[in-house]
Amino acid sequence: MRPKPPQLSLEELHLLRWLLGGVLMLLSIATVFYLDINSEVMAAVALAGVFLALVWPRLPARVHVWVHRLAFPAILAFFASDLRFTGQLLPAIVRLDLMLLLYRGISYRARRDDLQIVVLGLFLIVVAGVLTVSLLFAAQILVFTACALCLLMLVTIIDSTEGGTAPKLAVRGVLPSWAAHADWPRLFARLWEISDWRLLASAVGLFLGVVVVSGLLFLAIPRFQLENSLFLERFITRKAMTGFNDSIKFGDITEITQDDSIAFNVDLSDPSQAPASPYWRMVVLDEYKNGGFKMSAVLRSELGRERTTANLQTGYFAGRSGATWTFYMESGVSRYLPTLGRFSALRFREAQNFRFSQDLSIVALRDEPAAMTAYRVEGMSADSSEIRDPKFAARWRSRGPIGPPLQLGLDLNDSDRAVLARLESQIGPTAGAQGFADKAMQWLRATHRYSLSPHIPEGQGDPLVRWVASAEAGHCELFAGALVLLARSEGIPARVVTGFKGGTWNAYSGNYTIRNSDAHAWVEIWDARKGSWLREDPLGVAAGSDASKEKGDAAIAGLMDRSWSARLNSLRVFWYRRIVNFDQQSQADTLKAVKEATGSSSAWLRDAVAGVAGRVKAWVKGPWNGERLIRLGIIALVAGTLAWLVATGRWSLALAGRGHRVDPVRREAGRWLLRVDGPEPLVADLQRLRYGPTQTWPRPPEVFRRARTAASSSRRSRRASSRSTS
Amino acid sequence: MKAAPGKRPRQIWRRILWGLVWPRRFERIQPTISGVVLIGLSLGIGTAAYNSSSNILFIALALLLACLILSGVLAWFNLRGLSWQLEVEPPLRAGQQAEVSLQLRNGKKFLPTYALWFEFSAGPFERRPPGRPESTITAKGIDIWSTLSKAEAEEARGTVHLRTRLDPGADARLNWVFTPARRGLVRIELRGVGSLFPFGFLRKLTGTDLRRDVPVWPASVEYRRLAGATPRRPEGDVRQATLGHEGEMIALRGYETGDSHRLIHWKASARKRRLLIRQFSSQNSDACSIWVRTDAGVWTRPEQFEVMVSMAATMAQDLFRAGRLQSTTIDQGQPVATKRLADLESFLDRLALAKCVPWAAPGPGGATVAARPRQNVMVFEPEGTRGVAAYINATKAAAT
Repeated sequence: MRPKPPQLSLEELHLLRWLLGGVLMLLSIATVFYLDINSEVMAAVALAGVFLALVWPRLPARVHVWVHRLAFPAILAFFASDLRFTGQLLPAIVRLDLMLLLYRGISYRARRDDLQIVVLGLFLIVVAGVLTVSLLFAAQILVFTACALCLLMLVTIIDSTEGGTAPKLAVRGVLPSWAAHADWPRLFARLWEISDWRLLASAVGLFLGVVVVSGLLFLAIPRFQLENSLFLERFITRKAMTGFNDSIKFGDITEITQDDSIAFNVDLSDPSQAPASPYWRMVVLDEYKNGGFKMSAVLRSELGRERTTANLQTGYFAGRSGATWTFYMESGVSRYLPTLGRFSALRFREAQNFRFSQDLSIVALRDEPAAMTAYRVEGMSADSSEIRDPKFAARWRSRGPIGPPLQLGLDLNDSDRAVLARLESQIGPTAGAQGFADKAMQWLRATHRYSLSPHIPEGQGDPLVRWVASAEAGHCELFAGALVLLARSEGIPARVVTGFKGGTWNAYSGNYTIRNSDAHAWVEIWDARKGSWLREDPLGVAAGSDASKEKGDAAIAGLMDRSWSARLNSLRVFWYRRIVNFDQQSQADTLKAVKEATGSSSAWLRDAVAGVAGRVKAWVKGPWNGERLIRLGIIALVAGTLAWLVATGRWSLALAGRGHRVDPVRREAGRWLLRVDGPEPLVADLQRLRYGPTQTWPRPPEVFRRARTAASSSRRSRRASSRSTS
Repeated sequence: MKAAPGKRPRQIWRRILWGLVWPRRFERIQPTISGVVLIGLSLGIGTAAYNSSSNILFIALALLLACLILSGVLAWFNLRGLSWQLEVEPPLRAGQQAEVSLQLRNGKKFLPTYALWFEFSAGPFERRPPGRPESTITAKGIDIWSTLSKAEAEEARGTVHLRTRLDPGADARLNWVFTPARRGLVRIELRGVGSLFPFGFLRKLTGTDLRRDVPVWPASVEYRRLAGATPRRPEGDVRQATLGHEGEMIALRGYETGDSHRLIHWKASARKRRLLIRQFSSQNSDACSIWVRTDAGVWTRPEQFEVMVSMAATMAQDLFRAGRLQSTTIDQGQPVATKRLADLESFLDRLALAKCVPWAAPGPGGATVAARPRQNVMVFEPEGTRGVAAYINATKAAAT
């Protein structure tokens, strides 16, 4: 009889269960660090507690019995007070989950408790996934699923080993025998000993099958367009980055540029429309007061009433440009959505609450989104250097001493105005708004250099005026603010626009990637002759220059990014495109693509089969001779032999004449006997495997492992001896 | 009766469809607590996914559903290639523990089998033609419950767990011990093979058609021998054949299975080219026959009848052990010589199934009570309201 393969004892199974449970809890607690709900300290405490209990399984026995008695009342009381004082349901539930996981981590668990940690951990991971929509969720949920399935299987096996007599509740304060004899190195050694590569390969194959099946189910689950917003977002609030609010202080934008993380990605359906230097407009700030710019009440009122819809039609016609721009904006950027300028339609995945101004070309969500926001823009002009504004033009034409503000306001005292007037004389005479802008920007670039660490001289008066009058370095906000002041002093309406400028083109996923470091501020000045706002960037290329008008491949070539971060970002874009943004339309497109692929491959197959049949037919119809007959006979003989081999299962040529199948163990033992010549016990075992009856066999995997070791050590010694002789 | 030519394919299809819809006997799938939690979780996540159109939740839902599918696949793999065989070691005797063995074999090449349990049942069984189906619609609920409870009370049930892994190509033996309550034909059944494997979501029970109908011999009873009777031997294995012999050799007869090898006459066997054994005079001395009557007119109390049957069985064993049992008869049947162990076992099997019935008039060739030879025949009569006495040649030989 073959010796029985080793199995894990009951204590070892319990220890393995403890390990898997601990890993599950650590994995799920770690997701809290991405949630940004002010629970990092609690998560760190939970992580530490669970980790310590995992590494030293004796630790939970030292927990006082009163801790167990008071645990649940204390947890409930904490949850109630947390909810009362913070008023946010989801963060309170997440903290409750953390406390429960910590308690389970420092207590011995029965079967029911193991199920609890699976459910609690799954809750944390799913919530983190929904709120962050990050690619990391995919990796986390897969690892969690694998560990959870292993844990549940282990619990079932333990339950069966105990014959269904295991207690339903863990006994508090009592050290179980498996914990008393816990020895991690020994457990891992035993796991290595019992491991069977075939079982492991089957397990991996099955898990991959689960992943594939879940992918197919994900594609196949029918989607319905429901007019509901993301429900979880209502339960969590976040603050936007101040640089992209409707008021900025100088330095806010510069602060954002210190962050190199990705702000948003943009897919373009027609890369030939890709501009070389896109300006992604977000917020228009027209009121200058107290050393800062903000959106005036008038402009805010132009945003109109709040709408709740998934589709926005503006009525703007951009010509024949059929390109569709799909934006994937990360959370924490702003509630103002970046666009290039005017567009004809904007679509969300589900209904959103937002305001829109056609004249300003601004879309403002009600709240800053807590997760990645995807939206599609159609009919958008890639060139935002000029934005027509008929309404403002009409106001400008009919302007009088009393009327709506015309973005000319200068809240400055007389001395500051005098300084501005002096500076304008330095700039020199200009003709028209464009001419003034060009000369003013040239003067600013000549007078000030760019720096992320500006210095505003001390003194009386407005700080921006002081800076313009000085020769200090400045950042983009100062340059833009200065240009606005100079233009308004000249009587030309001007306003600051904040957003992003440029970006890179991801060579792997074929999309724009705009980082927070691309945050920028520029100016739009009013050209009464054209009836348009002209984009003027004191720190960029001229709006009308050839460089700024580059499009398509030439533009992309200058922005191409083939770095590792681009490669990683391409995974994120894939995640957004194919998973997060997967909707009813995507499902229909996927099915259509599958149908087309199936149709084309079946057509190809049909053609191939028809071709082969035609050739065979032509060959058969051809003139027959001896050579043909011989060839046909050989083909028939070969085909018949193969068919006989398949039908009788006699694959191996070595079986020819033997009439029976060779045991693979005997075959392998025979191979090793040819390769090793010692030590004697090993050779004896190999001979027993090769020639002896199966009842006398030692364990084949152990013998082959010893043979491998012996073969490699003899190889090494031969090499060493050959080196010494040479 | 043959089906009409056009109808056969339809009948086959009907049978296939019915087989898919109607569950097989003892097949059950019940969700456990973790299964209910999983189902609730899937419903909750699915609802949230449709409510929020969040693809993250759809991913989670797809993974949960895929895990359910994996659970079914692994459960199928676990039971695949598994064979079992029910073995019952006779004899079974009422009131004594009986062991039922289940021989398992995992025919798979490299996948082990885990976490199985086997549900056994043993209950009285009567071989009779299927009766007319009866409706319980008009019956009272309490009557149905009492009938079902009574049937369940008579049936012994047990569950045996496979506590270790069953490796590929390995065998295992599981034992279930039960105590038959009364004599008769008992049906020992492997009702089902259950498993929670792999994840404990579903409690699956697969029915089997494995059953054995085994006679249960009557229980042993204490009795007292009266003058002239040999002392009753304690309970023991009846299988021990009588060893040794007394008296003169009176004949040679052919060897029959069960005869002692010491009795073989080798010379005569070599001469005759067939096995012959010696027959001694002591085998015939003090021998008696047992005649069991199951006349309902005599045995008016069922419990007294049971005592009689038990006493007859016990005395038959004791006499056989002492080499004094000549033949056995039940009712109006022909006397059956009881020389070998198999004869005794056959008698005990018939006793196990004996029922108290009114005697009919004897048919042609049947002996009547009056015609039975009374020489050395042990008969049984009721004694009092509960006792039974054994008489040989109208002399009381033993009593309970």
